[in-house]
Order: sequence, then structure tokens, then C-alpha cells
Amino acid sequence: MRRTTSRLLPRTVTLSALVITATLALAANANSSATQPLSGLFRVAVGSYFRMIYPGGGKYFKNPYSADANKTYTFIYAGTDGGLRTGVLQPAPTPAFDHHGNSLAGRIIRPTDFAGINFGLATKGSAPVISVSGDRLSGQVKGFTAEWNNLSFGQGGQVTGSYNAQTHVYVLTWSSPISGGPFNGFTGSWHLTGTFVS
Amino acid sequence: MLGLALVLMPFAFQMFGRAPQGANMIAGFRPYMTTARLSGYQTELREIDAGVKEGGSKVSAALSGPPTEADQRRFAASFPDFVAFEHQWTGIYPDMSRMLATIRLNLGNYEAVAALPNFTLFPWFFVAPGAVLLGVLALGLLQPAWWRVSRRALVALGLGLVLAPAVFQMFSRAPAGGRMMTAFKTIETRARVERIQGYFGDMAVGQGAVQLELVPALRRSGLSPAEVATRYPALTTFDRQWSHILNDMTPMIGAMSDNVANYRAVAALPPFALFPWFFVAPGLLVIGSATAVGGPGRARRVLDARLSEIPSSLVKGAK
Repeated sequence: MRRTTSRLLPRTVTLSALVITATLALAANANSSATQPLSGLFRVAVGSYFRMIYPGGGKYFKNPYSADANKTYTFIYAGTDGGLRTGVLQPAPTPAFDHHGNSLAGRIIRPTDFAGINFGLATKGSAPVISVSGDRLSGQVKGFTAEWNNLSFGQGGQVTGSYNAQTHVYVLTWSSPISGGPFNGFTGSWHLTGTFVS
Repeated sequence: MLGLALVLMPFAFQMFGRAPQGANMIAGFRPYMTTARLSGYQTELREIDAGVKEGGSKVSAALSGPPTEADQRRFAASFPDFVAFEHQWTGIYPDMSRMLATIRLNLGNYEAVAALPNFTLFPWFFVAPGAVLLGVLALGLLQPAWWRVSRRALVALGLGLVLAPAVFQMFSRAPAGGRMMTAFKTIETRARVERIQGYFGDMAVGQGAVQLELVPALRRSGLSPAEVATRYPALTTFDRQWSHILNDMTPMIGAMSDNVANYRAVAALPPFALFPWFFVAPGLLVIGSATAVGGPGRARRVLDARLSEIPSSLVKGAK
């Protein structure tokens, strides 16, 4: 009896260790694919851009002041905050525009020439919330607004994208239809890329 | 019947929803419906036109030589965005000019409509007299001692209805509103707004071509900025005025776009020209009925005769 017990004990210990190890590994794996909020700064780097699609789709607005050969792409560059912050608002200053209608909202991006007048970005009302699950990003930027020509265009929406946890490189994209005002029926298409800093 | 008709008419014509949309439309157009503002738009269009023409003639000749076919081809190859816009402008300018001319022609009509009582009140102009009419009639029938007073009140109400259009100058203002609605039929449409939005995109590209291509090419030819401005004043004005033109025109496009649904709602109301008669006709009927019915005894008999046609269980309360 004692002999049997002494023989079984190492096996039991080994089996238990295996079960514990497997459980921990599964838990760790589950944890890595669970949705986790990313609170911090999505730096806006080279490769970020904005496009505007005409009502009905299929045709993009040409911005003659775009630096790209394809004028339907308007590149955007980091503003004074370095990019888009989650969890906090980045409102436009007061006043929000100069006397030509150029936006002075320069925290997220550097105000950029669009058809002869600079546009800037701000977040109002609802702070961005972005989460990561594995290598996928999701969330909302409901309060995201584009400021141009003394006007404020709601450009919020549900964002999707990718994230590399090792390099912190991200890509965020979303589209937002413009409702009301001079660009009613147009759709803004946003593509932000860079690194995330918590 | 008449009182009920007056109360129910705004519901039948969905006035409670449509009339406030009319008020929004009138308010939405207000900043732009002034002679100064409309003249400003027409001046801006002329400035763009002059700039485009100068770009396609004097500037083209300066940059590519005399206007031979080969030189024109060279100019088009060097400045494709400008040449494309020059071509588009031949359609944009007359279309925008016609639209502004139509709007300007209707300035007086707009002012006439804007001078009417607030559209939001319109359904109440029917409901309130209708309710008063029913109330006075009920009072006169239920309290015969008040019948004489009730008749006088009904005559006063009828007179009020008859005179209201005259007081509010509806006979001249309402048809003016009708003319404005007819004139704006081809302007306040989603398709038209989208066309204007498209023009805006074309103009932006054209101005960009002037600032980023033509003017730098002139500078490279040895001209200073002052010389460019002196030799090509129209092109320079178009370029320099662009942000002002954008500041000015963009909100107008916004107002046009935002009021497409409001226009549709107002257009679905009965024709404006009929509006005064919606007051006068019921007013005359009220006066006629009040004077024709006679004393409370006759009125009561008329009512009793009507009630006798209804099952007794339903009229117990009325008697």
C-alpha cells in the first residue's frame, strides 16, 4: 500500500503540474486576445491621410494643395499633442479660426491646407475610446470633428484597425458621412497610422 | 361643421410639421437674401470669370506664346488642371449666374413672405378660430340667455377672419410667396445642390491651378509678384479673393442644402395664393351663419332637429 502510494505520488504531482501549466498557458492566451482599452496617444505619423468622397460615392474630392501626386489624398501630420489621445478631449481653441476661416485647432494634426483654407481636428463631447484585441483595434471616435472655413464637421464614427503589440505600430481607419451643411452627402475617409504611446 | 373644419384643416394638411419647416426655411435663407449679399456673390462670379478668361488668354500667351493651336496644346499640357477648369467654367458660370439672378429676382417675393406672421403660427390661425367658434356656439346653445352675446361674438370672429388677410397683407404677400416657391422649384433640389457642390470642387481645383501652377510659372518667367499683379490683375484678384469667396459661398451652399427638405415640406402645403381665402371664406360663412340662424329658440330647434336624427342614447348628454 505504501509502495503503491509512493509510486503514485510523483505521477500525481507531474499530472497536477501539467494541468496547472496548461491552465496558466490557456489563461495567458485568453488574456492576450481579450479586449483591452488603449489609453494614451496614437501618434500621427507619415502615411496618415484624409479623403473626401462625393455624394453617391465613386468620386473623390481633389485637394489641389495636397502634397501627393494623387490630389484626392490629403496627408496629415502630427500636431502639438503628437496625435489623437484616447480618454481625454482635445478641443479646438478659442477662437477656433483666424479671419480667413483657417482652423487654429492644431493639437491632433498640424492645420492642413484643404482647397485654400486650413483644416484642423479636434475632439468634442465624447473622448475617443479605442481597444485592442489580439492585433485588431476597434472603438469609437464619436467626438472627432474637422474644423474648416469657420465650420465644424462631425467626423466621428466606429474605428477599426490593426496593432502590433511589439512595435506599437497601429493603423486606424474609419469613414464618416457628412450630414448637413455645404458638404452634406459627402463622406470623410480617415486613415491614421503611427505608434501608440500609453 | 365649420368650426370642426377649421380645427381639423391643419391636421389634414400636416401643417404642424410643415409650417415650422417653412419657418426654418425663411430663417435659413435670411442671411443670404439681401441685395448686398447677392450682389457680392455675383461680383465674385465675375471676378472668377475675369480671372479664368485672363488665364486662358493673356497668361496663356505669355507662358506658351501666341494662341496658335500648337501653343494652346503646349499650354494645356503644361497646365492641365487650369485648362480643364477653364472648360468646366463655361458651364459653371452661366448656370451659377442664372441661379443667382433667379434668387435675386425673387428677393422681393422672399421679403414679402418673411414679412408674414411666423409660419409656425399658421396652423394656430385655423385651430384657434375654429375652437373659439365651437366654444361660442356651444355657449349660446347651452345658455340661451347668452345667445345674443354669442351671435355678436361669432360675427366679430367672422369679421376677424375676413380682415386678417388684409391686416397681414396676405393678398399681396402670399402670392409673392407662391412665385418664390415656383422660382425655387429647380434650385432647392438635392440634385441641384449636388451639382453646386461639384462646381465648388471644380473651382477649388481651378484656383489651386492658378496659385500653384500659373502664378509660379509667371514668376519663373522673371516677373516679380508686383509685376504679376499689375500685368494680370484679374488672375491675381481671383487668386487673392479665393479664401473670401470660400468664406462667402460655402455657407450659402450649406443653407441651400439644409433647406431642401424644408422647401419640399412648404411646397406640399396648399398653394400660397389660396391662403388668404382660407381665412376669408370661413369668416364669411361664420358671419352668414350667425346672422341667418336668428334667435336662440330657432337655433335650439335646429339643433334639436339634428339631434333627433341621432340615436337617443347618444344625445342624452347633449340635451
